Amino acid sequence: MTRNTLNRRRFLAATAAAGTSCLAAPLYAQSRELVIISDRGNPDQRAALTDIANAFGREAGVRVSLNNMDHEAHKTAIRNYLVASPPDINFWFSGERMRGFVKRGLFSDITDLVEKNGWADVVPAMSATTVDGRIYGLPTAGLVWGLWYRKDVFDSNGWTPPRTAEDFLSFGQNAREAGMTPIAIGTKEMWPAAGWFDHMNLRINGLDHHRALMEGRIAYTDGSLTRVTDRWAEQVKAGMFLRNETSYGWEQAAAILAQKKAAMMDLAGFIIYGFPEADRAQLRLAPFPTYDTGIGRYEDFSVDSIHIPSGAKNPEVARDFLTYFYQPDRLWEYLKPDGNLPARTDIDVSSDPIMVESRKGLVGVDGTSQYFDRDTDPDVAQAGLKGFQEFMVRPERASDILAGIERARARAYGPL
Amino acid sequence: MLRTRRSLRHRATPALLLAPGLLLFLVVIVFSALRTFWISLHAWDGFGPMTWVGLSNYAELWGDPQFWVSLRNNVIWLAVFLLAPPMGLAIALLVNQKIRTMRLAKSLFFMPLVLSTVTVGVIFVWFYDPSYGLLALLFHAFGASPPAVLSSDTWVTFAVVFAALWPQVAFCMILFLAGLNTLDEEIIGAGRVDNARGWQMLRHIVLPQLRQVAFIALAISMIGALRSFDIIAVMTSGGPFGSSTNLAYQMYQESLFSYRFGYGAALATVLFAIMMVFIVWYLLRLLRDERSA
Repeated sequence: MTRNTLNRRRFLAATAAAGTSCLAAPLYAQSRELVIISDRGNPDQRAALTDIANAFGREAGVRVSLNNMDHEAHKTAIRNYLVASPPDINFWFSGERMRGFVKRGLFSDITDLVEKNGWADVVPAMSATTVDGRIYGLPTAGLVWGLWYRKDVFDSNGWTPPRTAEDFLSFGQNAREAGMTPIAIGTKEMWPAAGWFDHMNLRINGLDHHRALMEGRIAYTDGSLTRVTDRWAEQVKAGMFLRNETSYGWEQAAAILAQKKAAMMDLAGFIIYGFPEADRAQLRLAPFPTYDTGIGRYEDFSVDSIHIPSGAKNPEVARDFLTYFYQPDRLWEYLKPDGNLPARTDIDVSSDPIMVESRKGLVGVDGTSQYFDRDTDPDVAQAGLKGFQEFMVRPERASDILAGIERARARAYGPL
Repeated sequence: MLRTRRSLRHRATPALLLAPGLLLFLVVIVFSALRTFWISLHAWDGFGPMTWVGLSNYAELWGDPQFWVSLRNNVIWLAVFLLAPPMGLAIALLVNQKIRTMRLAKSLFFMPLVLSTVTVGVIFVWFYDPSYGLLALLFHAFGASPPAVLSSDTWVTFAVVFAALWPQVAFCMILFLAGLNTLDEEIIGAGRVDNARGWQMLRHIVLPQLRQVAFIALAISMIGALRSFDIIAVMTSGGPFGSSTNLAYQMYQESLFSYRFGYGAALATVLFAIMMVFIVWYLLRLLRDERSA
């Protein structure tokens, strides 16, 4: 059957070659194929990716088909397509989200490719795509999370970014007196509340505790978490956050920051989507305030990555594509419109003020986690996202909420 | 010989004509329903192996606070959707008058039916927006501060059902308008001879003839209330913190976001059982009417 179609294709190619000799070369070559599935929401970034894929197709003589999916829809579709009809290249997240697929043998081991190119030396984030010493994907960019603010607003009010928990509350007081909401947050899509939890837990209980919690080794009913919810409830009661935050998506919250109605916002470099072009130069990033001086500076640094599914039909072409795509200048072309920090440290980002801010945000960091819903089991993540959204509205329900997340944890990881 | 063949063909024709529909029904509806029930007896993440857990998914439902919130919301949907047929009837009677501009009014009332549910949802999200929405402007006009209905765990379900009611009323209106056009002129004439007017005419002459239509409007509204899903996804994603989730939406979230297909299937089975009550009632009525006709 295969031989038959091959013969027919060859026959067709030969006939075409005889007819139009100038087209012959590409026609022969185009029996090589590459299927890519991406999940990029930013149209400029999609265009950049299309350009790179087309250029690769021309140079390598490969017929490339690039399918972009809606970012949210892709999160569910991937489970289906990795099993049923795997592409040659797909975009995904590293960390626990990747590990789940690696455990089921759905991603190819590309350790040799990484070693051959010496990428590990220039990509510190490679640890995020490594499972048991083997590498299963290439990190493309990292999202540096922290508190963004407008420089002009801070200058005109004579504010400096809060450094400690006490500073933070008094800064909130000042912002409110100036008629502004201290922290813009929109929890309609729930994850921003979980990101806030990450910050609080990393500052109060530290990275080891946070990792253990994400891996299901600490119960959510543990006393250590009450310390987090108590301090967080303090912030809610002090009016630090935007009111009716469940009505707003993050874009609307970012718009409130851009309109100078709020003072700060917890987000990563993609905040630029929510900001008018002219105001972007005002954006500055400050690390989350310290809660316990005995605990190092740990931050969320979520790494996006690109993978070869183990069921890829053209793994060799896929490897060629990764090599082509991962060159510093091409990776930069792809990342420039997005605002997230390149995973390769040998890329010069100094022309982009937002990336410069992000890179500064990584200086002095003692260790990183990814993000709540990337670090833990999806079932627990879902329960946690919903629980923290509820907590920000009804902090008095803290113990019920934590008990609810604990039920999901016990289901996913078993009793402790 | 010839006769038997002909009689065979005679009997085979209806069976053959029914076969495609029946086959589709068996595969798409019956098989899927049975399979869903089978999955609900397992723990399954969607692509790994399925583990038999018996009825423990159902036992877990009983202790899941979200399940009771979803169930309560389904009851709210049902109760509010009961309003759709009478409202539809009222509007149908209004626009059925022979007045020149009524044609325009009719098409305005008809409009929400052409809009997709997603559009209706988006329009109402804007309407409810606590800072720039029409509702906020209304409240500001009276000097009051507007409520953020989509953020309130008490009001959010009502706000969503109200949005969904808009096209549903339009749908009932169309049904009643069609019904009003098939009224028996002779009976109305007879009523007129007997001096029936206004309320009496409506109560004793018109409404009895609309019974069949009213029944269909009610049954379809009930089933529509139970299968509501898309407008919730658009307006609130079931939030804030699950307060506007109903059984259908919870099933979607458990299966596709928490990757718990067994638990999602258990929710689907419960929803199916509730819907069955209305479907059986609808079919029994339909059969009875057909027999008596």
